Amino acid sequence: MDTSLMSSPGVMMLFGLSPILALGLGGLLLMLAEAFGRPVVAHALEAQAIGAQPAGPEGQIVDAGAGRAAELALGAAVILFAGAIFSVALWLVGPENVTATERVAPYLLIDRFSVFFSFVVCLGGGIAALLAGGYLPEHRIERGEFFPLLVFCTLGAQALAAAGDLLSLFVALETMSLGVYCLVGLRRTSVRASEAALKYFLLGSFAAALMLFGAALLYGATGRTDLAGIGEAIAGLSGDGLEGRAAQILIALALLIVGLAFKVGAVPFHMWTPDAYEGAPTPTTGFMAVAVKTAAVAVLLRVLLVVFADERLGSWGTGWPPVLATIAVLSMFIANFIAGRQESVKRMLAYSSIAHAGYVFIGVVATSRSVDAQASVLFYLLTYTVSTLGAFGALILAGRYRAEAVSYEDLAGFGRRHPAAALAFSFFLISLAGVPPTAGFFGKLYVFKAAIQGELYWLVVLGLINSVIGAYYYLKVLVFMYMREPKPGAPFATPMRSGYVATALVIAACFVLGLGILPDTALEAAVAAVLGG
Amino acid sequence: MALDLVVEHYVLLSGLIFLIGAVGFVTRRNVLVQLMSIELMLNSVNLALVAFNRQHGGAMNGQMFAFFVIAVAAAEVAVGLAIVLQFYRLRATVNSDEADGLRH
Amino acid sequence: MLETYLPLFLLFVVALVIGGAMFTLGHFVGRKPLGPEQAMPYECGNDTRGGRDVKLTVKFYLTAILFVVFDIEVVFIYPWATLFKSLGWVGFATMSAFIVALGVALVYVWRKGALEWES
Repeated sequence: MDTSLMSSPGVMMLFGLSPILALGLGGLLLMLAEAFGRPVVAHALEAQAIGAQPAGPEGQIVDAGAGRAAELALGAAVILFAGAIFSVALWLVGPENVTATERVAPYLLIDRFSVFFSFVVCLGGGIAALLAGGYLPEHRIERGEFFPLLVFCTLGAQALAAAGDLLSLFVALETMSLGVYCLVGLRRTSVRASEAALKYFLLGSFAAALMLFGAALLYGATGRTDLAGIGEAIAGLSGDGLEGRAAQILIALALLIVGLAFKVGAVPFHMWTPDAYEGAPTPTTGFMAVAVKTAAVAVLLRVLLVVFADERLGSWGTGWPPVLATIAVLSMFIANFIAGRQESVKRMLAYSSIAHAGYVFIGVVATSRSVDAQASVLFYLLTYTVSTLGAFGALILAGRYRAEAVSYEDLAGFGRRHPAAALAFSFFLISLAGVPPTAGFFGKLYVFKAAIQGELYWLVVLGLINSVIGAYYYLKVLVFMYMREPKPGAPFATPMRSGYVATALVIAACFVLGLGILPDTALEAAVAAVLGG
Repeated sequence: MALDLVVEHYVLLSGLIFLIGAVGFVTRRNVLVQLMSIELMLNSVNLALVAFNRQHGGAMNGQMFAFFVIAVAAAEVAVGLAIVLQFYRLRATVNSDEADGLRH
Repeated sequence: MLETYLPLFLLFVVALVIGGAMFTLGHFVGRKPLGPEQAMPYECGNDTRGGRDVKLTVKFYLTAILFVVFDIEVVFIYPWATLFKSLGWVGFATMSAFIVALGVALVYVWRKGALEWES
């Protein structure tokens, strides 16, 4: 009975798509839940009682989701963690055993690669939802839209990692990006937030248009839109066919790399990153730093290794590896040097995320020469996701309404006044710096090992130098927290109380510590998840 | 061969429109003009897709792709205009008196 | 051959008759004094008043944007409709899911008050 149910193609199809369906349906339900609720804001209810237009303190119309961030955050977190759990279940059964999902190929490829990324982005999204559950009410951002948008952005990220066709790739990319633009501009009364959203939107759509033109050129050169088909067609080109199309394919490659490097936030396509990260509400910043970046790297790997896997394009002399190596080196050096000079911790973390994009790109470059490189990139992204969200979460916990902890000075003496929050902060920063026994250490270790295996010694040396530079500004936070006292009269950070943020930090800390002590299970998973493995 | 030449003309035109859009985006500072430039770029891609579809025929992938680009572009404009409006509204409140800020 | 084009021909005839009738009736029945107001450019309805850079309420943009977003979705329904029979029940189910998602979006917009003109 049970076996016949499991062998039915319809059920297997639902099971294979369950991580994506969970987010899609869950997001729709959350939208309705948000719209059909009543705002729980005292002055809004009073206004409604006397029949007046419900208006907030700034004369704005009160949103239906106002004051309900806690319940909506719980809903979003449940949906996103359910997506993560479905991914794990699908992983254990094995996506290759769920053949029914071939019906949605090549638009969505349900392989171990996409299931791995589905888990990582759902985990990141879930933690970001919990952070927002604490942050939004504390800072009086009464926008219930945040949570359905977050779910749909994560859905886009999931679909992006699974996209096996230029069409679904573009639609997934825009699903993710359009939601994030809104999440950045959520604080509607803040000039900074709206400037950040505007900048991010303009440059983001510009990059998307460049990518799209690249996609059209690929279609023109090969007559295919599925990534595998394009890859085969390029590999089959030779002689006259190649002569006429080589330029077209190279332009397409360049445009796709530029577009995706932009989404990752790598130098020299990083101009938007610091402003957008600083102007956005902190949970959004965390989400952008992890889920958007992770999904963009996933699709970059798939594009490079499936479409441009041809040895003429993947070689060191004529292909993409030197370009990506340049991007990696520039990202690390420029981001690390500027990060060290920042006054604002949030902006420092923004530059640090650019530097981490550089480390990830070292691994991506190494995929051209080393078999372990792909797994090291996947593992790095997992460790980076939990460490970064933890750091942003701890930064959220350090501030209150109208007293958000921003600068190093704000954090002076924090360790003595609030040991638990400071300890968590230190822990995540140590992981970002790559010190054992944390997840970040093994992330860097495997990427550098893969690069050594690929005989890219100079990249490893540059990466190590940058790790040391990076350690400087992470440790500077610790110095301020534990060894400085706030100047007299200076506004110092009073931590907020929030069960949601605390829960998110505990989850992130479990992962950081677990991956730091027992990296083997996750590494094996990453090895199993590689493309073409 | 004659057909190929025609397709190439369309692709050339599409490339020109794309370049006009890109140059417009980079050189103009008016947000709305920049938004229009992005639309120009997206529409030039549609032209290229449809032209390539004529060349390759078959499964009509190019035309289908163009449909999706149109739909996504509409969503992008919706989000973009909302962000632009919010930006202008805030800048206006900074510069003018209270009554203007409460108008909407 | 001719039979195939007969409906098309009839359509032309009907269009010509209706169009011609309206034009002729307007010519004979309508009043024709050309006043200074009618001679003004873009003559239509009320007099134009005030400057060009008049501020419109933001609701116009909101409604227009919502219209564009929902309107453009028809782009997916047309190809589906032309292939309705060959796509079968799978196609029908897929399109139904699409329409349901659109419906949820519409309900959302409605509940959020974005469709209310007066407020």
